[in-house]
Amino acid sequence: MNPTQPAPAQPTADTVLADVTGMLRTVLAEYGDDDVEIGMSTTFNRDLELESIDLVTLAGLLEERYGQRVNLAEFLAGMEFDEIIELTVGRLVAYVAGSLDTGRTV
Amino acid sequence: MVDAGGIRLHVQRTGPRDGRTPHSTVVLVHGLLTDSLASYYFTVAPVFAAAGLDVVMYDLRGHGRSERPAHGYTLDHNIDDLEALLARLDVTGPVHLVGNSYGGTIAFGYAARHPGRAASLTLIESEPATAAWAAKLGGILRRVVTELAHNEPDAIAWITAHRGHNTARLARGAARLARETSLGLDIPASRVLTEDQIRAVRCPVLGVYGGDSDLAELVPVQRRLLPDFRAVVLPGHEHSVLVEAPGPVGAHVLDLVSAGAGAR
Repeated sequence: MNPTQPAPAQPTADTVLADVTGMLRTVLAEYGDDDVEIGMSTTFNRDLELESIDLVTLAGLLEERYGQRVNLAEFLAGMEFDEIIELTVGRLVAYVAGSLDTGRTV
Repeated sequence: MVDAGGIRLHVQRTGPRDGRTPHSTVVLVHGLLTDSLASYYFTVAPVFAAAGLDVVMYDLRGHGRSERPAHGYTLDHNIDDLEALLARLDVTGPVHLVGNSYGGTIAFGYAARHPGRAASLTLIESEPATAAWAAKLGGILRRVVTELAHNEPDAIAWITAHRGHNTARLARGAARLARETSLGLDIPASRVLTEDQIRAVRCPVLGVYGGDSDLAELVPVQRRLLPDFRAVVLPGHEHSVLVEAPGPVGAHVLDLVSAGAGAR
């Protein structure tokens, strides 16, 4: 992943999903997991078996790609513990797309 | 990653996003075995940053994304790491230290070693290193090493059935750490503090405890020893009060920090 590559002007849920999937593959590669299926309904905890420290890595990758508008720490800090356990890729994609959209209209 | 005197530690640093200059630094130290800086990163750290603080978090040696040497896990190693890390980050002024469980024992040890460098100290479900502390942790670690690290399949099956999938995964990580390092032997063999050394920590100390945790029994002990001690007990919580109730825990820390900001 090239951190200086600019985000597309009008990211759609599909392009964000593709980006996030790529980031998750980077994180999962550390565990030797390279053929896990990732879709909107995939959960971080149960399906991908990510630990919270892996989400810190993901937060860094998201910021590299999209800048400070996308802040995974703030997004998750607003959630209950059980919500985080149930978090899906789709919910993260919606948050990212929404943050970028707000950023464009400002 | 930061080289802290020969060991590579994973550090995350955050602060106000609106360009304000942070008025103080808060250093967040996590607990043993199953813990990492993530327990702060996704809970109180964004709140502290929004309140105008420079927030430093790191993974202890052997934990999270930090380097895992086979040996060197006494409390003094952890205090040395914290010292080296802050020097490396050019954090020279007094800092507000927050420690969860064993992280609080490290933070207290740092404050005892360098009384002038601690502006305040928050001990979440935590206590200073005493002989009783070392004996208690020794018992817990012996169980991890004997039951978990040496008989992992049975232990994990039991934990999955009784505590759920998530706890079982954390336990597998703890078993790996116990197997791969001398941590289980080193921590109970740590040098502990004398009562006089504990009394010498004169900065404001906040104890935060879960109402259902046996550590709440420490409140009178700390009150007797520490010149400036206050306690908060959050009912309905146990040892994981930081991740279960980050809102109240964060608010109490910010109260302590802002009270100190005026006085110091």
